[in-house]
Amino acid sequence: MAIFKRDPRGAHCSPLDPGNELVHVDCASHTYPDGSVGIHDMCFSVRKNEIVAICGSNGSGKSTLIEHLNGLLLPSPGTIWVNGRTISGGEQSDLWKEVGLVFQHTDDQLFAPTVIDDVMFGLLNLGMSPADAKARAVEALETIGASGLANKLPNYLSGGQKRLVAIAGILAMRPRVIAMDEPTSDLDPVHAGIVEKIITDLKARHGISVVIATHDLDLAARIADRVCLVRDGSVFAEGIPREVFYDPALMEEAGLELPVTVRTWLGYCAAEGREPGDYPLRLDELVAALRKK
Amino acid sequence: MTSASLSPHIPDLDLITYYAERQDSRFSQVSPWTKLALLILTVVTITVTRDLVLLGIFYAAVVLAYALAGLPLKKLFDWYALPVIFVLSLIGILMWSEPGVPLISAGIAGFTLTLTDNGLLLAVTLLIKALISITFSLFFLMTTRYSHFADIIGRIFPSPLDQIFLMTYRFLFLTLAMTASLLKSVRSRGGGLLHSMRMQGRLFAGIFALVFIRSFEQGERVHRAMTARGFLGTYTTSGEVPRPAAAEYGALCLAGLGMMVFLFPFWKGG
Repeated sequence: MAIFKRDPRGAHCSPLDPGNELVHVDCASHTYPDGSVGIHDMCFSVRKNEIVAICGSNGSGKSTLIEHLNGLLLPSPGTIWVNGRTISGGEQSDLWKEVGLVFQHTDDQLFAPTVIDDVMFGLLNLGMSPADAKARAVEALETIGASGLANKLPNYLSGGQKRLVAIAGILAMRPRVIAMDEPTSDLDPVHAGIVEKIITDLKARHGISVVIATHDLDLAARIADRVCLVRDGSVFAEGIPREVFYDPALMEEAGLELPVTVRTWLGYCAAEGREPGDYPLRLDELVAALRKK
Repeated sequence: MTSASLSPHIPDLDLITYYAERQDSRFSQVSPWTKLALLILTVVTITVTRDLVLLGIFYAAVVLAYALAGLPLKKLFDWYALPVIFVLSLIGILMWSEPGVPLISAGIAGFTLTLTDNGLLLAVTLLIKALISITFSLFFLMTTRYSHFADIIGRIFPSPLDQIFLMTYRFLFLTLAMTASLLKSVRSRGGGLLHSMRMQGRLFAGIFALVFIRSFEQGERVHRAMTARGFLGTYTTSGEVPRPAAAEYGALCLAGLGMMVFLFPFWKGG
């Protein structure tokens, strides 16, 4: 798969592979009340059983795009195509049933008095009985390894625990896609590792596609199947991580630095006069490449 | 633990919720309807009576129930500060104008203020009444799960008043948490609530205004996160409130009968 570059001023897009796409956003523009343009000419899709990383600098439109996936924001003009259904601006959206959204700041998301009540919140909105909702919430907490937190108060949890509970609240609703805004920001390496494992498990064990909007390019390099680069409110390039992250000119165009592994490998190859033929992304791949003669 | 109490004298909502959700005392097993009915009966009774002995018995009984429920007594006495200040600020004027046997007289700006036995009795009586109400209300809140409390509100108040009440209650948590963060920031740089207000009054006033704006903004963000999980304006409660057991009905009947017997002379006397 080669890097696919898109002209932000080009024609609107339609689903390229409708049989394989779960969500497709074709947003001509989204303008905030103060007149600032959040995103424009945005063409973005989520396919079955994949992890997509949306990477871009601050203010590039990542969070605005993420909120479109869940229907919190709707394009005007433009459409969101979900599972064969087309939704346009002004319609009452029930996209939240298909696409779960984990917010960057967990304090915004966790509002109920106890963890179990918070995880049950979305399930009750789905119309489940309290007993069924409780059973499903307990199961979701077990899935992410946080069953011991069920009766705790969200305000008494650490940042890492709050993040796990926020993910459980969405996972319990069993959406087809889970979108996460900066899933590892403000987390220590241990909790960031736990969240990373959960994301890969969501895809591998539960068949849920995951969209992550992130500054953590090393995370994207390790787990993403596809990377979309966002700049000035529009996806301008996308491709597999190995190709996108090993294109310094493209990354500079996106206003991003290369992931640490990539920088290390390219620096090593330049110093040693080697051709960077292996393109390692993960630490184990880097070690293996360094050990090669 | 990320939240902090604003002051030891302001009820800590997180701590109240913690005890409410713990559900490990015998009073947590009592139906919230029974506790609410007893709270109403108590408030009606203490509103009518001025009998200091009876009020003392009520107060002792309520504090005993609070302690038996495993709730923190020291915190309770700390939390009395605000209601005591509130009551004293109200009766601080009234108590000096009551007729009766003079106890203390003081001349201020050409006026003579006299505290009589009835004035003192009024002060003590109103104070005990306030403390009984506060203690019982805290006892009710700290032994009743939020979902049950929310369900009761949903049944008592018509929509959308119930939703407004519940959202306001949760919004209070946000505002207090935001204010606590602010105070933490002030204390971390050597300031203090009263000290900083005295030294940098205008700045402090501005900061407190900002706290409310930020709380409002956070409230909006919370609302967006709720909408992202299907919230359409109606907070669905997760548990039906347990009905009172037969023994609780019996206790309520006895309490109601006792109150009627007690109130009968007041009613007869007009």
